Amino acid sequence: MDKQKLLDYYRKMVLVRRFEETMEEYAKKGYIPGFLHLGIGQEASQVGAMSAFEPGDYVLPDHRGHGVCLMVGTPTREVMAEIFGKKTGTNGGRGGSMHVADLKRGNIGNNAIQGSTMATACGLAVSAQVKKTKSITFDFLGDGTVGRGEFHESLNLAGIWKLPIVYVLVNNGYAISTRATDAHPLADLAKMGCAYNIPGVTVDGNDVEAVAAAVKEAADRARRGDGATIVELKTYRWQGHFSGDPASYRPAEELAAWKEKCPIKHLRTQLLGKKLTDEAALKAIADDVEREIQDALKFAIDSPTPTIEDALRFVYVGREVAGK
Amino acid sequence: MANDSRVILLGEDVARMGGDFGATMGLLAKFGPDRVRDTPLSEAAILGVANGAAFVGLRPIVEIMFSDFITECYDQLVNNSAKAHYMFEGKASAAIVVRTASGAGFRAAYHHSQNPEAWFQNIPGLTVVGPSTPYDAKGLLIAAIRDDNPVIFLEHKMLYGTTGEVPEESYTLPIGVAEVKRPGTDVTVVASLKQVHYALAAAEKLAAEEEISCEVIDLRTLIPFDQATVLASLKKTGRIVLVNEAPKTGSINSEISAVIMEEAFKDLKAPVERVNSLDVPVGFAPVIEDYVTPGPADIAKAVRKVIDN
Ligand SMILES: Cc1ncc(C[n+]2csc(CCOP(=O)(O)OP(=O)(O)O)c2C)c(N)n1
Repeated sequence: MDKQKLLDYYRKMVLVRRFEETMEEYAKKGYIPGFLHLGIGQEASQVGAMSAFEPGDYVLPDHRGHGVCLMVGTPTREVMAEIFGKKTGTNGGRGGSMHVADLKRGNIGNNAIQGSTMATACGLAVSAQVKKTKSITFDFLGDGTVGRGEFHESLNLAGIWKLPIVYVLVNNGYAISTRATDAHPLADLAKMGCAYNIPGVTVDGNDVEAVAAAVKEAADRARRGDGATIVELKTYRWQGHFSGDPASYRPAEELAAWKEKCPIKHLRTQLLGKKLTDEAALKAIADDVEREIQDALKFAIDSPTPTIEDALRFVYVGREVAGK
Repeated sequence: MANDSRVILLGEDVARMGGDFGATMGLLAKFGPDRVRDTPLSEAAILGVANGAAFVGLRPIVEIMFSDFITECYDQLVNNSAKAHYMFEGKASAAIVVRTASGAGFRAAYHHSQNPEAWFQNIPGLTVVGPSTPYDAKGLLIAAIRDDNPVIFLEHKMLYGTTGEVPEESYTLPIGVAEVKRPGTDVTVVASLKQVHYALAAAEKLAAEEEISCEVIDLRTLIPFDQATVLASLKKTGRIVLVNEAPKTGSINSEISAVIMEEAFKDLKAPVERVNSLDVPVGFAPVIEDYVTPGPADIAKAVRKVIDN
């Protein structure tokens, strides 16, 4: 077991957790406009899966994907500033929480129309085939997406063209109020690829090492030219669908049971149990993360908002749009 | 639903949760899981199911959570719902109601803030209704359910919190009939959905501060719009401002304006003014969203322009 790697996962998961908690706090304080979909509880799926991401790869995060956006290497400040609607954000404040993109680092952005990243992922993968690069595409999906026609159309394409894609299917049990088991005939959604000759594995999404290993294997397969894989990560979101949703559609005991399976707690127990680290070292990591969060917060709060001129930019390439 | 066992309801999260905006809360308990169904996240299938069920006699109400997602079921809507009556030579139709949350103001950025009405006006067979008050919402929704045509029922997401008198009993309001919300003599202002409230606010202010009298019309049905009411008002005032939240190019204001050119050119004392969103996607940051979409000040400015002309 690689101690350094585990400590790195730990730091990243704590970063994502603190990022999300901070976003929730600042949404409540009125700093964040619009919807906020949080991924608290799903850190292992985000951090573990993205550990296989390499420079030159592409990723399409899901709408609960702040953690994925951070894992690409985008500065925490820029992701936060985008969520605050600031000019210094990844999209200049025009996208917000659901649309964080960072093209130069390979984050092609989420599409808030669920599932509409899937055909885009095929296109990114085709580009790698045409350009003969080793780039692979990570497409993060929720269990809800499985109902869309685009899911099936895209898997079909990925199957026939052996596209270099890793589908990271984050099965957190619910699409808003709808249980995954009520929405799909299979409990293990990884099997959905069967009809398209795309292999799938179902993994404990709260075990960062298991996630990382499964995604790495899928990524290697894609890089070898053997095509796409579905890696289904079984996990749970702790918050409501969006910040402010009381989530009264799900039983309290269910949430409590999943909180027991907290991915960060799990890794912590392992690290300490195997004496790979001590409390003081973990505290130092937490303090370091806290500094990063506070720095990002200050940056996001102090950054300017876009101007009305910004509203008119980039509608067309090389063509102006008239304002009021 | 109590009066007509053919009415069923389906959509994402409409049953157990009662809809993203709570609009269908309690219906599952009342009418049971056969008639009130949660669907997977599959807009195309939702509309397809509605069409199929309607062709053989049910009267489905479907919810497309945000109107932006209508693009996902556009094929069903355009090629099947809208054309059904024509294709079946009048023997059946898609008697469906598509309820959907539209409009800007929620800080929800490009994929959750659009006003889709213009997407439907080049498709014969579709009717688009959009209430601005709770009273109208109930009367028009019941009328839409009873209508044998496919009706797209736009609910502006910023109006869900609006309060107002609503009778307990069942009643309908006629589809295709606009309402004069405020009589006036100088300028006709035609609006719909959230913009009706902005038009009324602008009219109040103009009356109080500049002695300009606006007649404000709430279209209530956007497609087809109530030509008679609009043209009669224009005949009286001679000036008209058309207000709609969708981007300007090809908006329903463009269509109304063209009809005025054809039918009432001689009644015009000034060119028609259109108040719309800019031809720009809806961005996230509040400054951007507010700038791109029209507000009372834009309406007042247009009114002054047609007066000065
Ligand atoms: C095409 C489309 N339909 C509906 C929605 C509304 N919506 C947003 S999130 C969501 C549920 C998504 O569930 P899932 O894919 O499981 O992801 P999770 O929220 O659980 O992370 C729905 C229905 C949408 N954004 N896009």
